[in-house]
Amino acid sequence: MDSGPPSSGGSRGSPPDPVPGVVETAAAVASGRRSAREVVEEALSRVALGDERIRAFLEVTGEQAREEALAVDARIAAGEDLPLAGVPLAIKDNIWIAGRRATCASRILEGFRPPGDSTVVSRLRKAGAVFVGRTNMDEFAMGSSTENSSSHVTRNPWDRERIPGGSSGGSAAAVAARFVPGGFGSDTGGSIRQPAACCGVVGFKPTYGRVSRYGLVAFASSLDQIGPLARSVSDAARLYRVVAGVDPLDSTTAPHEPGDPEAALDRGVEGLRVSFLEEAQVEGLDPEVASNLEDARRIFRDAGAEVSSVSVPHATVAIAIYYVVASAEASSNLARFDGIRYGARASDADLLSLYVESRTAGFGAEVKRRILLGTFALASGYYEAYYGRAMRARQLLSQDFARAFTRADILVCPSIPAPAFRIGEKMADPLTMYLSDIFTVPASLAGLPAISVPSGLTRSGLPLGIQLLGPPFGEEAVFAAARAFEIGAEFPDALPPAR
Amino acid sequence: MTSDSSVVTPEVVRRVAELARLRLPESELSRWTEQLSRIVGYIDQLKQISEEAFAAAPAEPATPLRNDEPRPGDGDLALESNAPRRLHGYGVVPRVVGSGR
Repeated sequence: MDSGPPSSGGSRGSPPDPVPGVVETAAAVASGRRSAREVVEEALSRVALGDERIRAFLEVTGEQAREEALAVDARIAAGEDLPLAGVPLAIKDNIWIAGRRATCASRILEGFRPPGDSTVVSRLRKAGAVFVGRTNMDEFAMGSSTENSSSHVTRNPWDRERIPGGSSGGSAAAVAARFVPGGFGSDTGGSIRQPAACCGVVGFKPTYGRVSRYGLVAFASSLDQIGPLARSVSDAARLYRVVAGVDPLDSTTAPHEPGDPEAALDRGVEGLRVSFLEEAQVEGLDPEVASNLEDARRIFRDAGAEVSSVSVPHATVAIAIYYVVASAEASSNLARFDGIRYGARASDADLLSLYVESRTAGFGAEVKRRILLGTFALASGYYEAYYGRAMRARQLLSQDFARAFTRADILVCPSIPAPAFRIGEKMADPLTMYLSDIFTVPASLAGLPAISVPSGLTRSGLPLGIQLLGPPFGEEAVFAAARAFEIGAEFPDALPPAR
Repeated sequence: MTSDSSVVTPEVVRRVAELARLRLPESELSRWTEQLSRIVGYIDQLKQISEEAFAAAPAEPATPLRNDEPRPGDGDLALESNAPRRLHGYGVVPRVVGSGR
């Protein structure tokens, strides 16, 4: 897309961004200043003009989006109060939208049509949102770069030679490129927060159990959470508020009241105990990430927080725990893709060939790697040494966090160990790719709410992100601290320069 | 069980692929073995956690369950829109009894 004039968000007191955010769009449509139809038309033309260069979408569903917008306009005319009135959204391809395909960017689910809306989409629809299209992702959400899509590679709007992060790279890029004001992704080990940081947007993973996974294609069920991507903390809070809460269709949703993260935004951090994770000072940390972290310390101190450091010792083994637990659950969840009930069938010779050939042809290399790893970790003779040990280590990590939260209200670490890398740079080295998630995986394993907030640009103009973690169900404090940090960080709310 | 990553041999990878219902061409077996071996080698750092530390680990939280109450599902609709082969409203599969190994 073409480079627009540098501008800042209305919320930051500078000239308004050419593309209004979630809260601003909803207010304009709800008050009748703009129609949902007009708003969605503009979003569709931005996608039509710009997505050829970014390739954030797997499918743009313009006709359905227009119909949805007309329905929203009718509801506004009838006096309904809609918190997301006419807000165009980009939805990751593993979240069901009724009447549209959901393929997880996998050949094995090519053409799959879900039987209805996921709970998240149904709540967004009720709130007046409009769905512009399905966004690209790493196949089955397994990856940190969106390069594992069976369809195509998505490019980072800040530098098209670089990855947008992953696995929710399509949604992050669509928001960063200003195609849509907001999007949704899923986060199993960092798949919302890491691409958000790579693309200079806000990404939020709620507490495990806060948001229903009904209609989210399962990857690792003890970790998966759906969450929003947006350009500001307040936009992310609005999107999160609409989808949070107990759902009878997902027994893992928690009965805790979601509270009001939007009302908490202006609380500030005066007197809040903000602790920086000692384990984030890893050897080989990118020097610009390290100095960005120091800036974050200053921002919190200046905002009145009580800044300290805290140790979460087992965070150092989080990646090892994660690749056992997540792969084990994936191998079990993905056993359902067998060529019988849905997806491509590669052979009809006999039942075993049907399974083997359908799965061999349908899954990409990374998915196979995780299935193999997970099958190994669960296999007789290895189970206790790998899965059993990882599960116990996971409990030790959760215990570390519980202790840390007796001394701190919010924990801070970088979101990514280095800015977005070049496309193709890590594809031949899976383990190095896995280490991209080093800072996001700990919160996933402990089920904590965590947000990535844009924290600055490197000298070469690539975004960085700072991550804030809260105790379980501590979303209000996380959003309040994130908003205070956002004000201090003064990240430019501007269209990324074209390059 | 050895403590080094050599636990991942080509034979183990072949057996695991069979369990996972995946076919790995023989020509790719050494590459898969090398990659998985490196990942498992990294995971082996969990062996450094002492048994005393593990003994102090809290129990895993229980999985919450919902009441087992029947409700309409969308299984028929999903099958109708997605099954690769259907006949008279049923999914068609190859002969099961006496097939395979």
